[in-house]
Amino acid sequence: MSPTTLSPTVEIPLLRQHLRKALFISELRSKRKSSVLEEMVAVLATADVTRHPEGVLDAVRRREALGSTGLGKGIAVPHARSTLITERSMVIARSSKGIDFGSPDGIPTNLCFLIVAPPLEKDPVYLNLVAEIVRAVRLAKTRQRILEAPDFGTVRRTLIEAANE
Amino acid sequence: MNDTTAESLDTLIQLQDVDCLLREMRDPEMSSQEEKLGFAVEGISNLERTRERLASQVEDRLLQTYERMSRRFFRVIVPVNGRVCSGCRISLPTNSIGRNSEGATYEFCENCGRILYRR
Repeated sequence: MSPTTLSPTVEIPLLRQHLRKALFISELRSKRKSSVLEEMVAVLATADVTRHPEGVLDAVRRREALGSTGLGKGIAVPHARSTLITERSMVIARSSKGIDFGSPDGIPTNLCFLIVAPPLEKDPVYLNLVAEIVRAVRLAKTRQRILEAPDFGTVRRTLIEAANE
Repeated sequence: MNDTTAESLDTLIQLQDVDCLLREMRDPEMSSQEEKLGFAVEGISNLERTRERLASQVEDRLLQTYERMSRRFFRVIVPVNGRVCSGCRISLPTNSIGRNSEGATYEFCENCGRILYRR
């Protein structure tokens, strides 16, 4: 993975604010990237983050079409801003079999973090959140603990600890 | 709101999202941040073609309004939260209704003029 911080001065616990049990998929049903994105956006609708999942999915797919958000090492962080989103949110999903996300190292994605946000003019938090995720999962032991976590609470604790390291 | 109106508004919302993404990708600071994080960014010309396609699907008057207002506002289309325009945060006394030749209607914020959509 590439450098993992945008601004060393950002100490706001962004991750903690965006970890919600309702936005956690313990095991993805989908096997292909396109349907994985659909499954993750559907969770946003179920959790009432949006009432227009189709439009949000369009925005996510358009961003993905610019270049894969698969970062390598089994991690993908698809992200998009959409008019149909009113609050910044993050969906976490696991896939034990892995998904071909078109990552540069060719390794299937086991951990996927979907970040969506409204299109606000000045929102450094949006990319800083992406950066915080990337930083939190940089270590193999963290990724392994997340993949093996029995429940969302353990995933949450692991990510918060890793973000604070 | 009739079907034509809803469809045109949906397309306009997509257009706004594409414009937002285009601004990000053309912004040296933001695109550089994306690349620093390890994300590939390419194929902007395809996105520009998507914008052209979407713009061609929006009725002329609504598109003109959007283009004119997008020079003033980052977000032209905004959700209504309760009775509050989420663009200017002003409570809407009544809704101003714009009507095109086919009878399609759109809601505008009476204070800032932004195009409104209901969540």
